[in-house]
Amino acid sequence: MDFDFSPEQVMLRDQARDFLVNESPMSLVRQMMDDERGYSSDVWRQMADLGLLSVAIPEEYGGLGMGMVEHALILEQIGRTLCPGPYLATTVLAATAILNGGTDAQKQQYLSAIASGDLIGTFALLEDVIAWDASGVHAEATPDNGSYRLNGRKLFVPFANVAQFIIVPARIGGPDGDVSLFLVDHATPGMTVTPLVSLDLTEKTSQIEFANAMVPAACVLGQPGNGAAVIDAVVQRAAVAAAAEMYGAARASLDMSVEYAKTREQFGQPIGSFQAVKHKLADMLLDAEAAFAATYYAAWAQDDHGDEAATAAHVAKAYVNEAARKVCGEAIQAHGGIGFTWEYDLHLYFKRAKHYEALYGDTQFHREKLAQHAGAAH
Amino acid sequence: MDLHLSPEDAAFREHVRAWLAENLPRHELHTLEERIAWQRKLYEAGFIGMGWPKEYGGAGARPMEQAIVASEMAHVNAPGPVNHLGLNFIGPTLIVHGTEEQKARHLQKILSAEEIWCQLYSEPNAGSDLASLRTNAVDAGDHWIVNGQKVWTTNGPISDWAILLARTDPNVPKHKGITCFIINMRQPGIVVRPLKQLTGGSEFSEVFITDARVEKADVIGEVNHGWEIAQTTLGFERGGSILSRFAVYSGSLERLVQVCKSLQRNGGTAWDDPVTRQKIGQAYAELEVLRYIGLRILSGMEKGHNPGPESAVAKLYYSEFDKRYHELVMSILGPYGTLLIGAPAELEKGMGGDAESDPSWAHDFLWSRAPTIFAGTSEIQKNIIGDRVLGLPKEVRADRLKAKAQ
Repeated sequence: MDFDFSPEQVMLRDQARDFLVNESPMSLVRQMMDDERGYSSDVWRQMADLGLLSVAIPEEYGGLGMGMVEHALILEQIGRTLCPGPYLATTVLAATAILNGGTDAQKQQYLSAIASGDLIGTFALLEDVIAWDASGVHAEATPDNGSYRLNGRKLFVPFANVAQFIIVPARIGGPDGDVSLFLVDHATPGMTVTPLVSLDLTEKTSQIEFANAMVPAACVLGQPGNGAAVIDAVVQRAAVAAAAEMYGAARASLDMSVEYAKTREQFGQPIGSFQAVKHKLADMLLDAEAAFAATYYAAWAQDDHGDEAATAAHVAKAYVNEAARKVCGEAIQAHGGIGFTWEYDLHLYFKRAKHYEALYGDTQFHREKLAQHAGAAH
Repeated sequence: MDLHLSPEDAAFREHVRAWLAENLPRHELHTLEERIAWQRKLYEAGFIGMGWPKEYGGAGARPMEQAIVASEMAHVNAPGPVNHLGLNFIGPTLIVHGTEEQKARHLQKILSAEEIWCQLYSEPNAGSDLASLRTNAVDAGDHWIVNGQKVWTTNGPISDWAILLARTDPNVPKHKGITCFIINMRQPGIVVRPLKQLTGGSEFSEVFITDARVEKADVIGEVNHGWEIAQTTLGFERGGSILSRFAVYSGSLERLVQVCKSLQRNGGTAWDDPVTRQKIGQAYAELEVLRYIGLRILSGMEKGHNPGPESAVAKLYYSEFDKRYHELVMSILGPYGTLLIGAPAELEKGMGGDAESDPSWAHDFLWSRAPTIFAGTSEIQKNIIGDRVLGLPKEVRADRLKAKAQ
């Protein structure tokens, strides 16, 4: 039993942190808030060179072949620095779908291109109906001369504005057909990407309309009808990934608050010496430490592939949703007026946490799963 | 990172399980003799004094092995050892600070429960601010004379000995005039009176000390250096205790789910109610996180890291969880939750039908007000976290200003 990171994991974490602190400073984050694409291709290229994009991709597909713990360490650093871009969309959503559902040829083609930084992808799960499994999929794929005609509307698709391919769940054979996944090229005629604007301006998100968009049969991910299981796998891994980012954002907010409380003086003394502030910060530390334990236990359970993988992912997302919301929110309170300004960086963490709270299973979804788990034992 | 038990630890857990299945008392331990006999049985099995060095009769076991025994015992609701204060606090304090004579005189009898110990620390006017204690010890030549009053003493009526903090110099800053003593509880100057708690039970006592005698050889460490020793004593926080707390709450939550399935409320079972399910899901997540926190502390202890002030986070977490969880229980069970006696079997907390060994939900709810107070209130834990973990500036306090002036 060992809850510590290995020396290699620590090295990877520190390398990622140093890189992101230096190459993705807050000035870049703010620049990307106003940028249509929302990421720096220069930073993306360097991330590829450092192996940050390929960390969890198996070696046979050009990756580093590490696991979710290593991936979470990087995602945590992204949360701490708010590095903007399609990192989670590409390396978690798209890569997990392909790894779990793709044919060997598809894995070779797509995963190696993701690993090398040449391909950005995303996953279009949500529609008008919010559901974190295949039940919410109403888009339809109709066979047509060896191709499929896609019709439907997808919402909240992360970084679809820059993705070169989008994995799209749709039902073949009408509303009761099984869900299949399609690898859709960004230049497919009949597909229209319209940006939506999230309160987290660093997180680009879009709506996609499919109006008789023609997709070759070869673009079915793996076998037709295998979509439901792949969606579950993607949501499970994305829940852990989001928890890691949210934990990183919460920890950064806490660190800023502690520093502020040590130096900000009112009534002739640092505000951190007042119990009202000190106890607030102690509560925030408790939430952050618990969020750390929840996140990395879940990441480990993913790599362990045992019975606990799903449960631990539900625990992590349900718990970190609340913890990160509290820590990032209370950080603003601890700062007072300055925390409410646009100029000060604190609100950016608050928004990142809130953005992910709603994604890959909100708190209600994961708590209901845990209730089912608790109830199943008896 | 590997959060599985090692094969050796997994095998040890099986051994502990099998031993408990074989030896667990079949009924509530009513008499002191029965409780002493149970501790001896645990001792013979190697489950007592596990963390003590072998030279003092301990097992020299790793923190993980201690945690396994504690959580397996909690899992089957096994009675704890009667001399738990002696085992967890006083013995380790003597091992670190005691003279060879003190160790030879007391340690073996703590392990065998031949002599029961308690702790005379808190006073009516010295709770969170323990260092302001007023019980005093006066040097009477060949012995000390002690006068004062102590409170919140666990095991008071059955104790033969106590570890005592008393003021030996009133003219120095409060932390610097306290001495740590061993005191014989079986003497006329000591009167123990059980304290009735809001639960109706009496786990604690008040202790009145009038001209009680302490031998010169029974000073632990040096005169006027008792505060440092108290800090060590209070610092013997068991990382493994978090996992045993998990086991207790986990058993309770399992039972709560069963009860929800039986409880008819508003036209369906409580289990059919989405609001209830949400709250159960939340409690399940919070409880799992408690287990992860416990594993993380244990992992550090296995590598020789003293949990130190970080254990304040664990204490704060579980004690606040305890309150939230029992409020949840009460909100689900409605009027059934308020019954101390008389709830139908399918809704009762325990399934054994023994009211004494299976406390009611109502009892557990009332008890949930205790953990955020004992062993350092939540407010004190937050001060510890703020000062020693986060490194925040200390608050301006009247006693510190006074000490500075002295």
